[in-house]
Amino acid sequence: MSVENVLFWVFALGIVSSAFLVILARNPVHSAMALVGAFFFLAAEYVLLWAHTIAVLQVLVYAGAIMVLFLFVIMLLSLTDADLQPGQVTLARVVGGASAAGLCLVMVETLSKTKGAGQVIAGEQTQVFGTLAEMGRVIYTQYLFPFEAVSLLLLVAIVGAVVVAKARI
Amino acid sequence: MKRPVWMSILIFGVIPGIFAGIQAAAYVLAWLGQKLFDGGGYLANMLTLMLVVVMVLATLLVLAERKWSALMQDRVGPNVARLPIPGLSKNPLFGLPHVAADVLKMLFKEDLVPSKVSRLMFELGPVLAFAPAFALFAVVPAGPAINWDGIRVPMVVAEPDFGILYLFAIASLAVYGTSLAGWASNNKFALLGGVRASSQMISYEVGLGLSLVGLFLAFGSVQLGALADAQTQYLWKLGDGAFDLGLPAWGIFLQPYGFILFFAAASAETKRAPFDVPEGESEIIGYFVEYSGMKFGLFMISEFVEVVVLSGVITVLFLGGWHLPVGDAWLTAKLTAVHPLLYGTVAATLFWLKVVTLCYVQMAVRWTMPRFRYDQIQALGWKILFPLGLVNLFLTGALVLIDPSLRLLAVVGLLQIGLLAALTAAAGPKKKADTALAHGGHGHDAHPAAPAAAAHH
Repeated sequence: MSVENVLFWVFALGIVSSAFLVILARNPVHSAMALVGAFFFLAAEYVLLWAHTIAVLQVLVYAGAIMVLFLFVIMLLSLTDADLQPGQVTLARVVGGASAAGLCLVMVETLSKTKGAGQVIAGEQTQVFGTLAEMGRVIYTQYLFPFEAVSLLLLVAIVGAVVVAKARI
Repeated sequence: MKRPVWMSILIFGVIPGIFAGIQAAAYVLAWLGQKLFDGGGYLANMLTLMLVVVMVLATLLVLAERKWSALMQDRVGPNVARLPIPGLSKNPLFGLPHVAADVLKMLFKEDLVPSKVSRLMFELGPVLAFAPAFALFAVVPAGPAINWDGIRVPMVVAEPDFGILYLFAIASLAVYGTSLAGWASNNKFALLGGVRASSQMISYEVGLGLSLVGLFLAFGSVQLGALADAQTQYLWKLGDGAFDLGLPAWGIFLQPYGFILFFAAASAETKRAPFDVPEGESEIIGYFVEYSGMKFGLFMISEFVEVVVLSGVITVLFLGGWHLPVGDAWLTAKLTAVHPLLYGTVAATLFWLKVVTLCYVQMAVRWTMPRFRYDQIQALGWKILFPLGLVNLFLTGALVLIDPSLRLLAVVGLLQIGLLAALTAAAGPKKKADTALAHGGHGHDAHPAAPAAAAHH
């Protein structure tokens, strides 16, 4: 086994175990920190896939911004064990579980059909693939429409958040 | 001899000498490492730059802050601790024994853990506060990469192509340390301090990133080494002599607003006065109130490490890195002709002198400005820095598009510097009648009724 293979399994084990810790930990802050750990292992997997810019963006956006806000909210709420009631089958849990399973199936199906799966990055490609300049070029040429659509979605979300917050005041 | 003479020898002789010695050794070590195996130079730089230079500089800044604050408040400063060495036991040695005394006190103080805390999270707090601050320096180049015997010797720990994104990513992780420390202390006041700290750091991260985008547009890169080298070009050059003279394309001339916005936002990230609401060592209780000994020491030293890193980043982005403002090409050619090692050492020494000067500026700001109120901090971040950053970004984009030689941008930048100087002069010492009103409120959030009420009396 090559070094990359060993590292892949180490990081994959890290992702799965910290993901389990997220749902098994009784304390929500512990769950949040475990999720941060999962993000870091995922970033390491991106590096192994030659996508080092995605890796640093993963840390910047998910670990550095989104989870910080999660932690911020969790810290201010005082959740007790009574709120969590283990072992009860509620509608929310059934729907949540079914959605997770469905998402998993869709992911497996999509990834197995994706073009370029199993493609090996070698030679001159290693100098360009995954760099910030190359990512910017692709985003602003090939994927311009999805990129702009996503930014419109974010704008709608921001406006929605302001409207909701204002209505409460 | 008189005190000014001693100080001049210290500032212009001893300090540059020490940095030159360290940097020469660092280059030799990096060369040896690189000769041993490819990438060994980066490992050697990690040891010399991050573990030795940055850490020692941060430790000495603790003493420097005490001495400078004493100077500014007309006190004597640290002079009590003595080394028990014959002949030196009566000499205060500029207060240097206080550094040793501080470290010893922190190491041997009782390690108190509050009851009913999550032990893991309590221990993780200081670690997560210190580790990002320490790792930040990895992408900051302290000197040029020299070509010595056909081997490229870098003076930086890592040169990723995403450059500054690494800084933003790692800096954003520092929030975990403060918020976890506040939450895990099982203390309402620590929790409130942690919430103040994390909300301030989250708010200013936006302005921090936005303030630099104009600079990236102007230089067309996000790599710190490339940004430093882009600043060697001259906007206007005088004559064609061997000694090059002119106005260099330094970031501070092209992006004066970007510089001020970045400095303000980054000061808020370091949580030092005037943004020290999260800590408030003496009056309000900060997030690290339950930490003792070396765990508190980690919080404190990470603050000083951030000061050093911030100075390094500003030096590279806005002050030309290791380059001289004039005569840089002339000096480079002369020194490289003697030996590339000599050029590297001189250039890196220049970098560290700029860093030390900026550290002093930060200390001076910290002991000059009063603390902002919490609402003023949020208003400054969201209502002033953020819109100004957007304006700066669009203005820079338009000017670079019109004139890619950056001269138009530099003209606007110099006008901005003039405007800032005029505004500062106008806001300077006021007449007696004005000061009574100025105390009623501060700048933008002055109560509208206050002047009317004052006029009524």
